[in-house]
Amino acid sequence: MSQAQAEEVTEIEAKRRLLDIKSLDNPKALKLYRRFDGILILVLFTFLTLGIQIQFTLTAGDWDYWIDWRDRRWWPLISPFTLLLFIGAFTYGIWYRLRLPIIATAVTLLLCLVSWLSRYLNFVEFANFPMSFTFPSTYIGLAILLDCALAMTRSLVVSAMIGGGLFGALVYPLNWAFMAPYKVPVEFNGTLMSVADLMGYEYIRTTTPEYLRIIEESTLRTFGGSVTPLTAVFAGLCGIVIYAIFLYAGSWINGLDKYAKRIV
Amino acid sequence: MNRIVARKTWFKGLQFHSVLAVLALMLLAGDVMAHGERAQLASMRMRTVHWFDTQVTPLNVKVGDLVTVTGKLVTSEWWPKHMPSIEETVFLNIGVPGPTFLRLHSEVNGVPMMRSTAFPLGKVYEYKTVLRARVAGRYHVHPLLNVKDAGSLVAKGSWLEVAENDSGEPFVNEITTLPGDTIDLETYGLSGFGGVYFWHVVWIVVGIAYLVYWLGTKRELFIPRFIRIRALGQDRANELLTKNDFVVSSIFFTLTLALILTGYLWAENRYPITIPLQTGLVDVEPIDIPAGDLEVVVDHATYELAGRSLTMRMNMTNNGTSPIRIAEFLTANIRFMNAKVGEGEIYEGEEMISRDGLTVSIDTIAPGQSVDVDLVASDALWEKYRMTGLIHDPDSRFAGLIFYYDDVGTRYYQEVGGAVLPEFF
Repeated sequence: MSQAQAEEVTEIEAKRRLLDIKSLDNPKALKLYRRFDGILILVLFTFLTLGIQIQFTLTAGDWDYWIDWRDRRWWPLISPFTLLLFIGAFTYGIWYRLRLPIIATAVTLLLCLVSWLSRYLNFVEFANFPMSFTFPSTYIGLAILLDCALAMTRSLVVSAMIGGGLFGALVYPLNWAFMAPYKVPVEFNGTLMSVADLMGYEYIRTTTPEYLRIIEESTLRTFGGSVTPLTAVFAGLCGIVIYAIFLYAGSWINGLDKYAKRIV
Repeated sequence: MNRIVARKTWFKGLQFHSVLAVLALMLLAGDVMAHGERAQLASMRMRTVHWFDTQVTPLNVKVGDLVTVTGKLVTSEWWPKHMPSIEETVFLNIGVPGPTFLRLHSEVNGVPMMRSTAFPLGKVYEYKTVLRARVAGRYHVHPLLNVKDAGSLVAKGSWLEVAENDSGEPFVNEITTLPGDTIDLETYGLSGFGGVYFWHVVWIVVGIAYLVYWLGTKRELFIPRFIRIRALGQDRANELLTKNDFVVSSIFFTLTLALILTGYLWAENRYPITIPLQTGLVDVEPIDIPAGDLEVVVDHATYELAGRSLTMRMNMTNNGTSPIRIAEFLTANIRFMNAKVGEGEIYEGEEMISRDGLTVSIDTIAPGQSVDVDLVASDALWEKYRMTGLIHDPDSRFAGLIFYYDDVGTRYYQEVGGAVLPEFF
């Protein structure tokens, strides 16, 4: 393509953009845009639902399926890790092009809704597990903090520091409100167990034996046994790093549109 | 035109036949009853764990009734070296379709088995599992061992009928916690203020409210915002965010932090005594195999494909003072019984038994006698349970238990094993 041709294209493009801007003053055009926006939201949310459901199932599945997997060391680390990498990649594009701080909330809300549907149909109705053993965790509160941090600071970097950190650190406190009853102690056959452990034992899972759980085990490397706060701090740091890395990945993906333009 | 009509007719015919074929397949489909008893490699089933005396009682119950599963197992000395060993980590499980039963108790050699353990090879383990029927239906119940990094090992199954209970009341599973509360695990923690449903509804409502603000109250959404940002450029794109956006975001941020803190403190106050999830291996003292005074050395073994029979030549020396009769050969959960001896209990509903499947070349081994004995285990069960695959396995060796009795009817058993050669014709 010659330089003259390139300048011509740029000129045509500039004219188009001018027309686009003028269309925003046209009520009929705005009405049409709104209809298209409805379709776009539907498509985006469907894509987010399918994407996060598959990704979360493959990476943090069992930690979210079973109450006797939600420990205080691995679950608060794995869950924000896997959520933030998905959220980070999408947040960049939506923020860069639309300045809408909604992705984290949308992803966690959709995940929550689809998880409830899945637990009810697959686990309760089909596999006969009680809902008390398989209810999903919630991450919506963390996502709102992340999105609000972005909306308030208007900076991806600062929001990664604040929102990403809080997203990782507050997984346990957020869910503790309704998970605490499952950590109440029980004596069973002379052995100390939590209610969650006992449920895992009584409600039979043929291919999920006790040893398969990846949960906290005793170790010499603790600070006076303060596992929960230490995990929260570490998860917060990981949250910042993971979110930042995947924002960067999102920026790279966002840059791929130049190839789309060439194809068009 | 005729060609198009013909094509349409042909396509409709194809659709009709497809529907018929699917319906036929659905009608002809049998019960799903496999928990792996036929799926694993024959040599693996023969050389891992020997299950015997497996008993499920009773076989007809109602929802809420108790079922007891008992039996013994011997861990094979011929355990494949390339496979993660049962000596590391193993869990006594039960093969049923999910939580159709509650597991109320399980033990091995008298030790409760809520957690995983380790089984040294060549030892005997007596297990017991107590179940409570939870969902009505017909189930194939197997004792089961999950071996870490190796997989599941299943004992033979028994069919169990569970009928609805007479009262028709919902199933409850009550326990008492250490702080003294009696709770129903079926619904525990779900309903009421501060329960799972409550908090999930709270967060879903807050999440929807947040999204409604950004997607429902804005005059301009995706396409108009995209156009404006493209016109403004990235340096001025933040101008799209209004003061109202900042205020609303601040409110949501503060409200969310306050809700998280409130929920956490409420739960801490409501449930002051909590513990982390419990895990760790427990120790089980193994039992020695009651091998009696019979010394057995396997000379060779052949598997005859056409006859579906395993022939084992062994040298047996009776070092005791009582005559011995070989009554049974057990491998891969299949019992080949010597009809001439007629010893060995057969339990109600027990499967995988060949009542006259074992032929022994000598009737009685007298005290002090040393003799070569041919044992022939022959039955169609080799085929039915896919044991003929033995000759196609990458590690063609066998193992099994032989059971024998002295003159007062005391039962002894020991493991035999070795290489096996196929006879194709």
